[in-house]
Amino acid sequence: MIWQDFKYAIRLLSKKPGFTALTTLVMATGIGLSVYMFSFFHTILFKDLNFQDGASLVMVSGSINGKEDAYRINALDYAEIKSSVKGLKEYGGYNNANVVVSATEGAIRFPAIMAQANIFQLTRTKPILGREFRAEDEKAGSEKVVVIGYELWQNQFSGENDVLKQNMRINGEKHNVVGVMPQGYLFPRNAQIWLPLQIDPKQLVRENSTTLHGLAHLEDGVTMAEVNRELSVVMKRIENQHPQTNTGISAHVTSIPGVGGADGAPVIYTMHTVALLILLLASINVGNLLLSRALERGKETAIRVALGAPRSRLISQMLWESTIICTLGGMIGFLVMAWGLEITEPIVATFFADPLAFWWDFGIDTYTVTLFLTILISTIFVTGFLPAWRSTGGDFNAVLRDGTRGAQGKKAGRLNRFLVISEIFISMTVLISSAVMVQSAYEQTNSDMGADTENSLVASVLLPAANYDTDAKKAHFAKTLQSRLENSASIEAVMLATSLPGHYSSISKVIIEGKEYSKDSNNSYPSANDIATMPGSLAKLGVELRQGRYFNNSDDGLAKATALVSESFAKRHFPEQGALGKRFRLAKTAQDNIEWVTIVGIVEHTIQGNRDGDAASMPAIYRPLTQAPRNQLTIAMQLSSKGSLAVQHLRKTLQGIDSELASYRIETYQASNDRITAPVVFISSLTAIFAIAGVVLAASGIYGVMANMISQRTQEIGIKRALGADEQRISREFVFAGVKLLLWGGIPGILAGGFMGFAMAQMFGTSYSSLVLIVIIMVSIVVATVLVATYLPTKNALRLEPSQALHYE
Amino acid sequence: MSDTLIKLENIQKVFFTDEVETHALADITLTINKGEYVSISGPSGCGKSTLLSLLGLLDASTEGLYQLAEHDVSNISKKERARIRNMEIGFIFQSFNLISDLDVEENVELPLTYRKDLSKDQRKAMVKEALEKVNMSHRSKHFPSQLSGGQQQRIAVARAIVGKPSIILADEPTGNLDSKNAEAVMELLDLLHAEGATICMVTHDPRSAQRASRNIDILDGQVISDNSLTKENKSSDTVAA
Repeated sequence: MIWQDFKYAIRLLSKKPGFTALTTLVMATGIGLSVYMFSFFHTILFKDLNFQDGASLVMVSGSINGKEDAYRINALDYAEIKSSVKGLKEYGGYNNANVVVSATEGAIRFPAIMAQANIFQLTRTKPILGREFRAEDEKAGSEKVVVIGYELWQNQFSGENDVLKQNMRINGEKHNVVGVMPQGYLFPRNAQIWLPLQIDPKQLVRENSTTLHGLAHLEDGVTMAEVNRELSVVMKRIENQHPQTNTGISAHVTSIPGVGGADGAPVIYTMHTVALLILLLASINVGNLLLSRALERGKETAIRVALGAPRSRLISQMLWESTIICTLGGMIGFLVMAWGLEITEPIVATFFADPLAFWWDFGIDTYTVTLFLTILISTIFVTGFLPAWRSTGGDFNAVLRDGTRGAQGKKAGRLNRFLVISEIFISMTVLISSAVMVQSAYEQTNSDMGADTENSLVASVLLPAANYDTDAKKAHFAKTLQSRLENSASIEAVMLATSLPGHYSSISKVIIEGKEYSKDSNNSYPSANDIATMPGSLAKLGVELRQGRYFNNSDDGLAKATALVSESFAKRHFPEQGALGKRFRLAKTAQDNIEWVTIVGIVEHTIQGNRDGDAASMPAIYRPLTQAPRNQLTIAMQLSSKGSLAVQHLRKTLQGIDSELASYRIETYQASNDRITAPVVFISSLTAIFAIAGVVLAASGIYGVMANMISQRTQEIGIKRALGADEQRISREFVFAGVKLLLWGGIPGILAGGFMGFAMAQMFGTSYSSLVLIVIIMVSIVVATVLVATYLPTKNALRLEPSQALHYE
Repeated sequence: MSDTLIKLENIQKVFFTDEVETHALADITLTINKGEYVSISGPSGCGKSTLLSLLGLLDASTEGLYQLAEHDVSNISKKERARIRNMEIGFIFQSFNLISDLDVEENVELPLTYRKDLSKDQRKAMVKEALEKVNMSHRSKHFPSQLSGGQQQRIAVARAIVGKPSIILADEPTGNLDSKNAEAVMELLDLLHAEGATICMVTHDPRSAQRASRNIDILDGQVISDNSLTKENKSSDTVAA
């Protein structure tokens, strides 16, 4: 019997290949896009780590003024958390670092982890060679040891078994290799080198303490929410005890993949919502098409009822159609989605200079398959069972007696109206929220960083702390590097800075001379991007001078204290009296003897790092590298010939200055800036695909439902025309009905889309005027869609002569 | 002024479906005078409903001349046809064709809402009068689904007469009714005729046909007989029936 029903469904579907292809494609789009989106975010943010007890491993991070991000936590606070929070066990911690490894082919920079001794125990992973860290490794002055990753072992030590007898020069210091971790082990993100984190508790001062990322396991049966409640109580207590340093500071736990997720929460929630809405849209469309077909076959159903078919049999028969369509569409969607996930990994890899997090393995996994099957079964139910139930519950006597659909027609009319309202609501929501995302990406990629990036190469260099332990050495290095690079014919100009315009920069709290700040909390000090640059670099980068002067030779000397500030800094802190000649100092209250710095020039605002929100408007202070040298430098080289010559010259110059120096992240200036906006461009491209799919699905869906609704009222049109209504009148009536549906679906859609759009606009700093414009444009698109979708079927119905319309079935 | 309300000359109607031409009406020529009660009879598919559609301007002829109240309406615009249907013609259908979402009062008022020359009060008054005429005032707030077939057809009659049309066209008005309700509807039409209405009715039912003052028989799209029925004819036929 089931086989018979299946064969019948196949026959019906093959009789209408256009219908079958359309519905299959719609389902493929809906299922494919939504599974992709869920799988993508699951891989990035929600995947359980593939370790024993991986699900209970959490990161303990700081929160500032309620904002939960991957902020490092003060070591003293962490010590108090360890002794007070009972919901966590096996506390550990680490810091990220860049290290320079001296290898036979020259110095190489590696991302490294400075970890507390139990880091490998936390992941229940043992080295394949040698040992883990021991408690004594954490003590200052102990033998310098390193645990290396499998890939580094293979590449730098050729996989030799005597690696444990060898040592590595890291940051200019000899380290004994004591362990090799298994292949693929990169915890906590993409590490290949692990060094012991040495914190001397006796040396810790609250005002200027070491900070770290905390790690721990949840106690059995304890949830993250419970731990977070415990953490807030403990952190509140610390805040009360130390208001100066801890006002507004709290802590929270997240899963390791979920770190930083809170920052992008509006985007993540919006994308998930959009994915669900697209799936819903596809299901409504297919469900409506199947319902229309079921209603068209009302007479056949009535005959079957008359012949004694039970309702369950009728439903099962109709369910086969949706099962076939959804399964076929689902398979196509699944294959396209699998391909999409496969190409995602190389695309996402371009967002980062370092390798991707080890759990970012995009592809078909258990979660994706389970999700796919759940969505498939749900869509079969929504698109098949509900229309089948609806279409088998009518007045079949009326159908057989006089061909009318009886009360079913009225019910179907209500259902149709509900479907149109739903589609309008969904499309409005999807369009507005997606458009905000796309607009934001456009604004970010086109934002003025404040510098010229044309025809420039950039590279980074890290000075090993052991070799460059004084400011004089660092300053000397910067001067030497600049002068030697400038001697190259392939390089037109050289710019040296800790951070170039567009790149991320460190942020410091500053104290403006003469301003009063709260004595109770360091939070009252304003923040600024803290950048050190070689004299002449800002001018060469195209950062325009607004007032005063650039740095020059008179600023040379560690004892001097001059600074430039950005226009935004001057406006924010010296709105009336002007900033030139005014003084500020860094807010490190433990060192109140920190020098006051005099502002000698004001330059245009530059964006450092994220192009959106507060980050984009963060002001900057600039110090000369000759006064305030640093260990990590970025070099920008304006090219006069091929880039490869400049790179060769850079490497040669560095080797000439110090063989233990490594240049890394060598790329064009534009590429380095594009990388920062790449994630938002990628997400917005995905959103744009969703929006286009949403518009097509909604437009076809609304047209389908309206056409169906108007077609069901063809007889009514005939009656009205027989009674003297002219075509304009009928068209007006239907368009008015369409407008009514538009209002019912559109107003909640504008509210929902506006709400999501507003959340994202706030996050990305999209202006409210842009948001309003987006709403107007998107509303216009939906309004036009509904009007066209109403007018065209009405026009079609009016093509019939009234006499034909009166007898239309 | 002439008494002729409708004049058809050599009317033809051809339906084209795929490659098949169907001649529904061929060379129909006839006139209907004001105040006449005409029945059109014939077997299924003979073209009588097509003829009624042409008379009601629900469809256009393929060829021929159609004059309504001395105006040529053979080739007028759709808008003009709609206006004439609204002002001059009242329809009664076999399947009532009431709009299920509108109540009785709204259904009857519907043709008046397409006119611009009537105020709301005037429309209400005309609806009230029409409903009283068909004795359905007490059901004015009911919906069609709450009424019997006979009651629905009386509402349809009220709707047909509410605009005081020149002619009432009825297509098998008793086709969906039992004999008791059918008789009531026919009595209503008799009454309207007696009050001066021009009625043209398509019917299968010989008893209904005999109530008309003139009977046109159609076969294969052609008029095969056109008889004015005298009172004697009617009564003898009625007795015979």
